[in-house]
Amino acid sequence: MATLREIKRKISSINSTRTITRTMKMVSASKLRRAQDELEKIRAYAVKIEELTGRVIANVPPESHPLLTEREHIKKVLIVSIASDRGLCGGFNVNIGMKAENFVAQNRDKYERIAIYAVGKKVKDYLQRRKVEVIKDLTEIKKVNKGLVDSIASDLIRYYTEGEFDKIYLEYTHFLSPVKQLVMFDEFLPIKASHIYEDTEYLYEPDKNKIIEKLIPRYISTKIYFAILDSQTSEHGARMSAMENATSNSGEMIDNLTLIYNKRRQETITNDMMDIVGGAEALRGT
Amino acid sequence: MLNLEIITPRRLLVHEEVEMVEARGELGEFGILPGHIKFLTTLDVGEIRYMKGGRTRHLFAAGGFGEVVDDRIVFLVDTAEFAEEIDVDRAERTVKWAESALREVSVDSSEYRMQELALLRSIARISVASKKL
Repeated sequence: MATLREIKRKISSINSTRTITRTMKMVSASKLRRAQDELEKIRAYAVKIEELTGRVIANVPPESHPLLTEREHIKKVLIVSIASDRGLCGGFNVNIGMKAENFVAQNRDKYERIAIYAVGKKVKDYLQRRKVEVIKDLTEIKKVNKGLVDSIASDLIRYYTEGEFDKIYLEYTHFLSPVKQLVMFDEFLPIKASHIYEDTEYLYEPDKNKIIEKLIPRYISTKIYFAILDSQTSEHGARMSAMENATSNSGEMIDNLTLIYNKRRQETITNDMMDIVGGAEALRGT
Repeated sequence: MLNLEIITPRRLLVHEEVEMVEARGELGEFGILPGHIKFLTTLDVGEIRYMKGGRTRHLFAAGGFGEVVDDRIVFLVDTAEFAEEIDVDRAERTVKWAESALREVSVDSSEYRMQELALLRSIARISVASKKL
């Protein structure tokens, strides 16, 4: 049975943990706000580029660009898994890892090769531990900038056009609210027309193919950039609610322990008093 | 009236009803009035102008796409600034810097191409900035 002093020590230890989780929650909250701002800034652009690309490629035959052409036999598949370097954010990293792992498990017989392009240390570690092939990993990402996004985009374009992979999926976490995030798992390359043919035959300047050649890389890097920002926003949201939970759980534990502590203390006092009274009674008898 | 939107990855610059738009495509300048044909173009480094109620606003824009459908114009540009926002000192510094760099590197290197683009952008910025209200 724990002594009074042990309980007291435990209370103070939980108390300091609570201080840390509360601070982390506040840090995440401010990071979340900043990440949401960044995400909002690019949202309009990303949406429009996606719409435009969808409209343009609905008007061209898929053979007109290598990144639009679907392979007849899909043997090698790549999953771009975007998560984070750091933990303490609830199921954020695990959800991404698990979805990729499940996909690999379900489709192992269907394809010759399924590999992962990991963004973030946690998801890389998770999948490597489970013997999934990680072809490349990007970790220790400090700032998401054009250079980073362009290097991912050119990697993916190279993988696809050189035939190293026949299909590329993009996996990331979509931010809905600080307590709700959604794992997205979308087909990325080849690019599919999002809707069927509609009659928007344009006057193209300089010409259709030149525009497609410029538009497609732009679409790919915008999509990657947006996915990374979305994922980071989700990470801060997930960490904020994880820390919020941790803080309130520590509060509960402290309350419980304090109750036990007080009960125990009272018991000791009662016992001591019984001893004294008993002793006094015994003395009076003589 | 035309509905004009100018969007960059950093922000939404313009979203309003205007009377006329002029911009610089890869094949040269073009103007858009209501009733324009469906049109899709790549944008070059240069100026975007739009007129509204007798007033003309000038923007610097570099690279991107322009789409016109049913009197709705969307410019998706890589970078864009209003003439009033352009940092002329900085653009002039870049011009000097790029000019000296261009004399040193060989003509067919990628560095040369980069500096050349920087120079073009800065010159365009300075020329747009001179038209501010």
